Amino acid sequence: MIEVRDLRKVFKLTRRQKKELGKTATNGTVEAVAGISFTCQPGRVFSLLGPNGAGKTTTLRLIATMLKPTAGSIKIHGFDTTQAPLEIRRRIGFLTGSTGLYDRLTATELVKYYADLHDMDSQLYKQRRDEIFERLGMKEFANRRIAKLSTGMRQKVSIARTIIHDPEVVIFDEPTAGLDLISARSIIDLIREFRQQGKTVLFSTHIMGEVSLLSDDLAIIHKGKLCYHGAYPAFVQQMKTKSLEDEFIRFVEEA
Amino acid sequence: MSGFLTIFKKELIDTLRDRRTIIAMVIVPLLLFPVIIAITTRIQIAQAKKAKEKILRVAVLTHENTPLLKEMLSTRGDMRVVENIPEDSVASFIQKDSLDGAFIFSENFDRQVENLHAGQLKFYFKSTEDDDITKRRLTTIIEEFEEKLLSERFRRLNLDDSAVKAVDLVEIDLASMKEIFGKAVGGFLPYIFVIFCFIGAMYPAIDLAAGEKERGTLETLLTAPVRGIEILLGKFGVVVLTGIGSALVSLLGLYIGIRQTGEIPPEIMNVIWSMLEMKSILLLLSLLLPLTIFFAGVLLTLSIFAKTFKEAQSIITPVNFIVILPVAIGLIPGVTLNAKTALIPILNVSLATKEIIAGTIKYGLLAEVYISLVLLAGLSLYISSKLFLRESVIFRG
Repeated sequence: MIEVRDLRKVFKLTRRQKKELGKTATNGTVEAVAGISFTCQPGRVFSLLGPNGAGKTTTLRLIATMLKPTAGSIKIHGFDTTQAPLEIRRRIGFLTGSTGLYDRLTATELVKYYADLHDMDSQLYKQRRDEIFERLGMKEFANRRIAKLSTGMRQKVSIARTIIHDPEVVIFDEPTAGLDLISARSIIDLIREFRQQGKTVLFSTHIMGEVSLLSDDLAIIHKGKLCYHGAYPAFVQQMKTKSLEDEFIRFVEEA
Repeated sequence: MSGFLTIFKKELIDTLRDRRTIIAMVIVPLLLFPVIIAITTRIQIAQAKKAKEKILRVAVLTHENTPLLKEMLSTRGDMRVVENIPEDSVASFIQKDSLDGAFIFSENFDRQVENLHAGQLKFYFKSTEDDDITKRRLTTIIEEFEEKLLSERFRRLNLDDSAVKAVDLVEIDLASMKEIFGKAVGGFLPYIFVIFCFIGAMYPAIDLAAGEKERGTLETLLTAPVRGIEILLGKFGVVVLTGIGSALVSLLGLYIGIRQTGEIPPEIMNVIWSMLEMKSILLLLSLLLPLTIFFAGVLLTLSIFAKTFKEAQSIITPVNFIVILPVAIGLIPGVTLNAKTALIPILNVSLATKEIIAGTIKYGLLAEVYISLVLLAGLSLYISSKLFLRESVIFRG
């Protein structure tokens, strides 16, 4: 379970950023996340929607302990991100669409690296690796260097390294960005599996099709603030426009 | 396996598979010296041989004075006297390489010598790139010529040659061949290994910090259950190892280069091998370790500040020159290891290496060098650890 309470993140701006942002920046800082609260439950998929620059990635980075909150708190399975970041990292898998991989390693070497970082038992690692490689269809390129893999294959390697330690919480930041339809669909199927396995899934996207396919809960973020937060069926029920896309735009414009 | 070892192992594999690192760390230092030494020694030897064997064309304008010098030159097989050169054309003939040298006697040369004075003899030559072998060959003839005139003078005055010598100077040089050679070559050695140590560490440092940031892999690494210091130390270890590895490979290249020439006289070869005794090598390595840690700290700190591999390269390349400067100062004659220079980083390594190779190192000063280097290495590691995983640095946009 992820519990986010009154979360704020303020960044100091560089001189160049101050020039670029002009009036929107106050006192040389920018508030990327402005006091948001939400909860992601186990066995449910929580979608975080928002336009570019809304604060989605910053929120996810805060949850994944890459950044420290300016104020507020984040708890994952009872552990606070600032107090026990290592405990949290043991329990999460984090994947972004723009994640890079080590080109000079093979797919197996890369997955083993992350298993070692999670201090996995060697037997358990082998069992998990075989299961995941089978499930994702990675066996044919398991020993090929990552530099020689296609985009779809690389994304499969990314997924494998994200879930090798069987995390209880999975965080995806625009996981289907840049993927073809088939690869994107396999990720959506995987997210569904995670839900069935009782994992907590938090993912950010701006593809409405994915939202309707996956979401149990939903939050819309804009300029660092939540414009909507609730169950997906409730969101659909209250819609004042014809499509999800129009409704999303309405929320953002009214915010 | 702890997080540090996991990261170290992975970074090492990753680095050793990087073509740029292998070129900078192994191929260039290994091949550079054998190739340079082979080419330069062969060219030098060929040039010197040519200059020694060349038949020199010499003009002698006696102005009706003694023909002795002309006769001496004519009887030698390695010189040819060129006749009928007008006095005002001598300089231009030499400048155009039509002549190798010329001797012009003053009008009153014989009279001056007769009156127990010095007769003026002008010697025209052109300093050349053949190590002045031509000049030395002709000077030797003049010395023989002067000796003959002096002998004649002493005979006429009924004097013994020793009558003009008041001091019989006997020079006794207590510096061993190892010392003399060590001080000369010892200045060159740090030039090699300090620079290769830096270059060898440079590419991995850029790739493991700025490169990882650019690829987006650092982000995922930060979500793994390892502490920031373990990530830093894992990378640090690899950068240090590649720096030391590169320095050692460059010395190996130098060794191969010396061995393959076969042109170095055996007595000098014996001195070289005596300089490379185990104690000297261990002392050099002990200097190299803190120096490389210092380099690794500086390189990783600069690299992590950069957003991209290219930006890191453009920041770090000028640092090369900062590293070369103190090494070059160490080559200046008269700059020696003392209480002050032992504290100046890089310069102290350069000077201490000279002393170690020559076998004249003072252990008090060496201790000072170690203290300076270890403190500096510690400081660079500390600064790196403070800056390396700072949010504003990692996500600098």
